[in-house]
Amino acid sequence: MSNDEIFAAAYREHYWAVSRYVARRLDGRTSEVEEVVAEVFTVAWRRRDDIPDAPLPWLYGVARNCLANAVRGYGRRRRLVDRLGNDDTAHGRHIEAGPDAESPGAWVHEALARLSPPDQEVLRLTAWEELGIDEVAVVLGCGRRAASMRLHRARRRLRAEIDRMSPTTPAKEHGHG
Amino acid sequence: MADELDLLRGANPVPSDGPHYGDGPLDHNAERHLDRLLHERPAIARRGPRLLWGLAATGVVAALVSALLFTGQTTAPAIAAPRPLVVRADSTPVSLKTLAERAKADARDGEPELRKGTHVQSWSMGMSEDKPPITLPEERIVRWNADDSHTEIVVATDPRHPGRPVLVEGDGEPRVVDDGHVLSRQTYPPSWSDAPPKSPPPHDAVELSAYLEEAVRAHLSDHSKPLSTSELLDATKILLDHWTLGARESAVLAGLLADAEGLRPVGQVRDRLGRGGQAYVYEMSGARHMLIMDPADGAVLGLETTFTKAEPEYGVKAGDVMSYSAWMR
Repeated sequence: MSNDEIFAAAYREHYWAVSRYVARRLDGRTSEVEEVVAEVFTVAWRRRDDIPDAPLPWLYGVARNCLANAVRGYGRRRRLVDRLGNDDTAHGRHIEAGPDAESPGAWVHEALARLSPPDQEVLRLTAWEELGIDEVAVVLGCGRRAASMRLHRARRRLRAEIDRMSPTTPAKEHGHG
Repeated sequence: MADELDLLRGANPVPSDGPHYGDGPLDHNAERHLDRLLHERPAIARRGPRLLWGLAATGVVAALVSALLFTGQTTAPAIAAPRPLVVRADSTPVSLKTLAERAKADARDGEPELRKGTHVQSWSMGMSEDKPPITLPEERIVRWNADDSHTEIVVATDPRHPGRPVLVEGDGEPRVVDDGHVLSRQTYPPSWSDAPPKSPPPHDAVELSAYLEEAVRAHLSDHSKPLSTSELLDATKILLDHWTLGARESAVLAGLLADAEGLRPVGQVRDRLGRGGQAYVYEMSGARHMLIMDPADGAVLGLETTFTKAEPEYGVKAGDVMSYSAWMR
C-alpha cells in the first residue's frame, strides 16, 4: 500500500475513535470537535510517512498536540469564566457537590480535575481510550517504564482525591464500572 | 470492588457505544475532508478562528505592526481594551416584552428574510498565558453561495477608527473599505449540516428554544433543564455568528429573550457602530452581560460582557470589557 492508501485506511478506521478522544477532552464543546479532528487528520496527512503499523495511539498523540493548541487560548479564559460562577453554561458538564449527586460521573470528573494535566491524561488514556501501557507510551512520547510509573502514581493520586471527596463512604459503593 | 480506574471507566463522557461518535461509516463532512486531503493536498489546515483565537490575535498584532512598519507610519496606534458601552442617564428603559411585541408586529410581512452567514465586529480579551490581555477587534463577513460554498473574510478593524465597519457589501461581493488589514479571505467548498447552528433556525418559539439548546449545550449536558439566561445569551451569540436573522426569526428570538429571567432593561446606548439601541443587563457573579437590541424592530444588535469585580491574577479590573460582538445586516 502507498502512504496515501495507508493514511486513507487509518482515517476511515479511526476517525470516530479520534473524535471520541477529542470530544472527551473538550468537555462537551461539541461544535469544536469536528474542527479539531479535521486538524488532527490534516497534521497526520502531512506526516503520513510516519504513520506506524498501529496508527491509533500515534493519532491520539497527534490529537493531543492539536488539542493543546486549541485550548491554550481557551484554557485561561475558561478558568476565569468558571471562577466567575458561570460554570453551568456551555461547558457541557455540571460539577456536582459530591458522590451523592445525581450524575454518577460528575464527582469522578471532579476528582480527576483536581489532578495535574499529565496525571489526568494517563488516566484517561487508560480508562477511556482503554489503551495498554505500551500504547500509552506512544501517545505520551515516553518509554514504557515511564508510562507505567506515571500511571501508577496517577492512580494513587486519583484514589486519594476520591477518598478525600468521600471520607466516610468507601468509594466502592459508588462503583458502576 | 470498584477501583479508581473502574470508577473512571464508568464516568467516560463519550463511551464508544454511546449515542455520539460511535464507530461506523464516515459522515458527509468526514468524507469530504478525506477527499480534500487526498485530492487537493492542502498545504495548511483550516484552523477554526474560535479555537485558535489567542494565536490569531497574536497574528493580528503582528500583521498590523508589520503593516504599519512597511507603510512608514510612525505613530503606532495605541492598542487598548475597549471601554464598556455607557447607558444614557436620561433615557427611559423599554421593557423586553414591549420590544418583543414590536418585533412580532414588524415580522408580519416576513421582511427582511433570513440569510445564512454573518457580518460581525467582535473583540475578546486575549487570554494567552504570556501575552498582555489586549487584542484588536476584528470584523468578519461570512457569505454562503447558492452551491453551498461560502466565503469568509476577516479584517482587523481600522485602529484609527475603532468601531467603524471596514467591510461593506456592494456589487454582490463584500469588499474592504478604509484600511482594515485583511487577515484572511477564504472560500470554502460546498458543505452542509443539519445540526444547529449550521441548520436554519426555526421560527417557532419552542423549536427555536430547542435549536438554541442544541447549539449551545453539549451532548454531555442534562438536556432536561430549560436554557438558563446565561446559556440563552451564549446561544444567541452562536446563532448570530452563523446567521443573519430575518424579521421572523428575530421576533421569535426577542420573545425568548423577553421570557428569560434576570434580563433587566437599563436604557439607551449608542453601540460601537454608532447605532442606537436598548440595553438589557444580566448580572452574574463577577460579570455582566449586556444585550443591545434595536428599539425599532427588536433585532439583536450586540452583546457585551464586562467584569464586575477585579481579577488581579488575570490583570482584570472591575468594569473591563471581556468581549463584545456587534452584528450587522
